[in-house]
Amino acid sequence: MGEIGRILLVEDDLKDVELTLTALDEYNLANEVIVARDGEEALDYLNRRGKFETRINGNPALMLLDLKLPKVDGLEVLRRVKCDEELKMIPVVMLTSSREERDIVESYKLGVNAYVVKPVNFHEFVDSIKELGIFWAIINEPPPGSVKKA
Amino acid sequence: MKNILTVGFKLSVIWRYGLSVILVVIALVLTYLMQRAFSIPFWFLFLAAIMVSTWFSGKGAGIFAVILSTLVVDYFFTPPLQTLSLAPENLPFVIQFVLAALATGWVSSLLQEREHSLRMVQNELEIRVKERTSELENMNETLVNQIAERKRAEDALIEHAGLLDLSHDAIYVRDMNDVITYWNRGAEERYGWSREEAVGKVSHRLTQTIFPTSLEEIAEDLLHTGRWEGELVHKKRDGTQVVVASRWSLQRDDDGNPAAILETNNDITERKKAEEEIRKLNEELEQRVVDRTKELEAANKELESFAYSISHDLRAPLRHVVGYAELLQKSASSTLDKKSVRYMMLILESAQRMGNLIDDLLAFSRVGRVEMQKRMINTEQLVQEVVSETKEDTEGRNVVWRIGSLPNMYGDRSMLRLVFENLISNAVKFTRTRAKAEIEIGSIDGEEDGMVLYIKDNGVGFDMKYANKLFDVFQRLHTSEEFEGTGIGLANVQRIIERHGGRVWAESQLDRGTTFYFYIPNPQEI
Repeated sequence: MGEIGRILLVEDDLKDVELTLTALDEYNLANEVIVARDGEEALDYLNRRGKFETRINGNPALMLLDLKLPKVDGLEVLRRVKCDEELKMIPVVMLTSSREERDIVESYKLGVNAYVVKPVNFHEFVDSIKELGIFWAIINEPPPGSVKKA
Repeated sequence: MKNILTVGFKLSVIWRYGLSVILVVIALVLTYLMQRAFSIPFWFLFLAAIMVSTWFSGKGAGIFAVILSTLVVDYFFTPPLQTLSLAPENLPFVIQFVLAALATGWVSSLLQEREHSLRMVQNELEIRVKERTSELENMNETLVNQIAERKRAEDALIEHAGLLDLSHDAIYVRDMNDVITYWNRGAEERYGWSREEAVGKVSHRLTQTIFPTSLEEIAEDLLHTGRWEGELVHKKRDGTQVVVASRWSLQRDDDGNPAAILETNNDITERKKAEEEIRKLNEELEQRVVDRTKELEAANKELESFAYSISHDLRAPLRHVVGYAELLQKSASSTLDKKSVRYMMLILESAQRMGNLIDDLLAFSRVGRVEMQKRMINTEQLVQEVVSETKEDTEGRNVVWRIGSLPNMYGDRSMLRLVFENLISNAVKFTRTRAKAEIEIGSIDGEEDGMVLYIKDNGVGFDMKYANKLFDVFQRLHTSEEFEGTGIGLANVQRIIERHGGRVWAESQLDRGTTFYFYIPNPQEI
């Protein structure tokens, strides 16, 4: 199955975190998922600040990013990541409830790699997460410098 | 005079000589009779005849009378009688007589000449007097005429000045030093100074004029074109300000030099006030429009964020309901009884349905909010696209499509595509029960400023008494068991068509089929 990279899941809703992890776990993709509960925490993790100061160097192989987040929202996180020479190579997938055109347009303008609307139906949701995990964490060759599975 | 006398001589030559003859004959007869009666010859009668002849008929006739008298005296009174021969002893008498006669004639002629010249002088005098008189008369007449003319001019002037006084406009005349020389009643009323007070004053100083541009500029304009028009601000006697529409006309003297300026001032203070008020009102109105637009924009934004929050926040708990219900279903499926499994199914179905409703509602709100991008659209191509997308739903069914020629239309393509998607999928859906479904798409001529399209099916149709509910949000005329759907499609159709300035309506008969019509106006020519 090859090496599974770290996935950074930025999601404020615990239930969504649980369902996402459940979905990923169903396909053995839940390993090494780091959860950040808001935009600030996500940026701290990426920049190795605050409580992530001591983490091992390297970028996640994929970032699943919610739009609506406390403190720093998803679009802002995306903007900062894509402006940062160190971070801009991280594949970012928007995983959100919003189907609003302006959100989609804005995300792509900022350089998002994919935009996925969370389906209400759990089957579909699981399928989406699974496909995302398989594609980005397994099929896709992550950029150099990404953290590999220990 | 001389001419008349000459003519007198000429005309009366016979008469004058005839007079001499007659006078001499009368003298002869009288002398003869007197000699018979008194035996004394009265020669003086002949002298009298000569005198009279000479006096009245001139020298020629006088000499003729002298000759005639001499001959008569010689013939009748000097012996030998009855002959012209003369005895020598009578010669002295005849000579005496002739001399006396000549002297008489000469004296008479002298007297006559004197008299004549006197008369000439008198005549001349008379003529001169007459001439002078007539000259004087002429002069007098001219004078009278002049006086009458002047009087008429004066009357006209007075009348004109009276007319100027009738004007409500303030009219005054000033000389080139701006000193007022005329001031009409309108000016008296407008400014409060009487004519006596105003005349002689410098006009601009009196009214404390405020000019729109420099006075030099105005003066140049006036000298160049002969007139000037503009708005001035004047101060009245009581200190209040008036705005006047001022007209200046330059008057030139006979040599073409500027002589005076006629100024007519029309009070427009009220008009200016009204204009100002209108301007203020307009400004207010504009401000209100701006405010209202802002309010609407804010409301629109609020609506958008509302829709956004529905989109994001309402779907999350729903997703959790479904997610956890499924997880529960999975983990507890072995322990759940049949009834509980059914309940679980119902929870999932309802949550799913709610998800669809939210999605539809969001789409509906987007249809109302999204900015339209109108252009000419190839209707036939659009319809073909939509029809080919229904292939999946019509698989295994007998559907006959009849698509007529469709005119291009003007509108937002993605929105109008939604219209066709809804109407065509409806037609497909509601003909599901037919062994042979017939769906016809065409256009109707007759609308001048737009086009009418129709989508006709032979489906289940509906009762026309519910036609007014057809386009309401979440209104359904069939149960979801019969035909699926949330009831948002036709609401979207109506909203889109109305945003295009058109209208949509339907005709149907239960079990016979339905026809949807919609009208889209042509692009407005600019």
